[in-house]
Amino acid sequence: MSEEPEIRANRLESLALSILFAAISTGLLALIGVATKANAKGGWWTQPWLMPAIALGILAIANLITLWREVCDLRATPPTTQEKVEGWTALLGWLRPLEFLTYYGLYIYAIQHAGYFPSTLVFILFLLWRVGLTAPRWTLAGLGLSVFMIGVFRIGLGVWMPVPDLYRLFPEAMQTALIRWF
Amino acid sequence: MDFLLLGLQQLADPAVFLTMCIGAILGVVVGAIPGAGAAVTISILLPTTFSMDPLNGMTLLLGVYCGAAYGSAIPAVMINTPGSPVAVLTALEAKPFVDRGEARRAMSLAYSSSFVGGVLAVLALMVLTLPLANIARHFGSAEFAMVAIAALVLVIVGHGGRRVEATAALAFGLFLATIGIETAYSTQRYTFGLLSLGGGIPLVPMVIGLFAMSEALIQLTARAQPQPVVQLRGHFFQGFMEVFRYKRTLYGSSFFGIFCGILPGVGEFLAQQVSYVVAKRFSPEGHLFGKGAPEGIIVSEATNNAVPPAALIPMLALGIPGEELTAMMLAVFLVHNVIPGPDLFANRPEFVAGLYWTLLLMNVVIILFLLVATNAIAKAALINKRFLGVAILTLSLIGTYASGYRFSDVGIAMVFAVLGYVLRAHRWPLTPILLGVVMGPIVEGRMRQALGGANGDLTIFVSRPISAIMVAALALLIVFTFRGWIKRRNAREDWQINDT
Repeated sequence: MSEEPEIRANRLESLALSILFAAISTGLLALIGVATKANAKGGWWTQPWLMPAIALGILAIANLITLWREVCDLRATPPTTQEKVEGWTALLGWLRPLEFLTYYGLYIYAIQHAGYFPSTLVFILFLLWRVGLTAPRWTLAGLGLSVFMIGVFRIGLGVWMPVPDLYRLFPEAMQTALIRWF
Repeated sequence: MDFLLLGLQQLADPAVFLTMCIGAILGVVVGAIPGAGAAVTISILLPTTFSMDPLNGMTLLLGVYCGAAYGSAIPAVMINTPGSPVAVLTALEAKPFVDRGEARRAMSLAYSSSFVGGVLAVLALMVLTLPLANIARHFGSAEFAMVAIAALVLVIVGHGGRRVEATAALAFGLFLATIGIETAYSTQRYTFGLLSLGGGIPLVPMVIGLFAMSEALIQLTARAQPQPVVQLRGHFFQGFMEVFRYKRTLYGSSFFGIFCGILPGVGEFLAQQVSYVVAKRFSPEGHLFGKGAPEGIIVSEATNNAVPPAALIPMLALGIPGEELTAMMLAVFLVHNVIPGPDLFANRPEFVAGLYWTLLLMNVVIILFLLVATNAIAKAALINKRFLGVAILTLSLIGTYASGYRFSDVGIAMVFAVLGYVLRAHRWPLTPILLGVVMGPIVEGRMRQALGGANGDLTIFVSRPISAIMVAALALLIVFTFRGWIKRRNAREDWQINDT
């Protein structure tokens, strides 16, 4: 579906991921008695814990196999110093999407206070600047994208948005239009 | 006959026709943009279709699905960049054509074989779905449970080289499907007291996070790539009739695509890879494959385009989605209380017949659009990846929010976006997660019904003939897959699914 991502799987990074997945799946499996309830009345096939137990059991086994493969591979060919450094860099690379998701979280917050159109415009222009698309044509493209979003979703499909605090500062006649369209 | 006329009546509705055209054109364009594609677009469009008439909603999504299968050939030929894994073989075969100054010939070969594959698959859909649904009328819960389990097993088997990861992803999806209040005793499962999880993990935010937002994050964090050059020289109509010189390859790969489309869990990529290997082996010009053979493009495109309509056969007849895009579309059915399965033909004949005709006409609309717009679409394929990432991320918000008008859903989408990003970066398959989520309730519900009827006796699955045949077929499939794995365990498998 996509081009190959920039981040290449480093063996130590894969090991870290496998440890994380194995820990989460076995942890969830261990919680089955707390997170689901058994029912004495019904047959075994109706027990609420049955399906989660099957799913988590398979998940835990599959994750442990992956982890075992990673460990065997690293035992057979121990990582070089360079690989270790690359592994740490790769792990830090997991923070990169979190940076963009932080902006995204702020965008969601801003929509509820500043309104959909202003927040979307600022979010798009900021992201374009952040990823290095600073030429005037990209600013224009960002503006075009914001107008497109308003045109299609707010005006065209009538997607409702909560009334933001900012729009309440405007005169009543303008408020109605802003709330309805922007 | 009345049934088909009913469908034509649906098509006469301008809204349906317009939606079909919009969906098809949008599909071609996004299919041509590497990094966009059908899964991203359908996941974002999904909530907007909930307010539409079911036929309109499905037509829009199917337009994107089918259009993208055509559109993926454009960057593969014109900028030698496969926009999706299914375009890799087309890109490989088209490169020598482009080098020889015959890009238009390669393009028209791709379009023509796509058209034949697509139309034959729609005809197969028209012919095979009703008989299959009639057979399924005799199914009890045990048989439906076995069909659903077979689909899950096929999903894993189809991920050759990544079966452990696919198993983990599928099991994770099955687990996600159990979160919330279960139906038998109305008890909570893995909600940890959170009321917002009572209804389970909402499908749309999960799909958007996993498929669209993670793609956006990858585009935003990717290193800048040099801009490729668009090449479109040669005669455009040269290859349109040329495909019929390779009738055996054309029809053979189309029918193989249909067969694979019907099998749940196989999908376009695996169908195309197997079809290519088989055609290469049996073609008199097999030695030219990979060096610019017209048959190579024909196999790749005819198989690829035959899968989407054929994937609807098990979904409409049995209610079992075969791959991620039909799994997403199942949500549209359920929102409108249109229950796919054997009774669909009796309850909503106009919907099914309308779907058939729109799919058939869609192929014509797409070809006509491609004839006039190929150059322009090729330029769209050159869109800056980072700008694309910004656009997808912004569109994801409206898609997620509009599905339930809750900002908390956006938070769920963000969690799945991180998960999708990490899994993609490690080439873990995402499709099994979605199939697990969609199939989980079907499997659990049918298993409970079947076992409930037999008072918990597991032999119910082998004491009924159809179910027993399915159990035997599944057992054989697992045994042969396991045997193959043992044989190859010291050698890396050549073909691997990469649907991330």
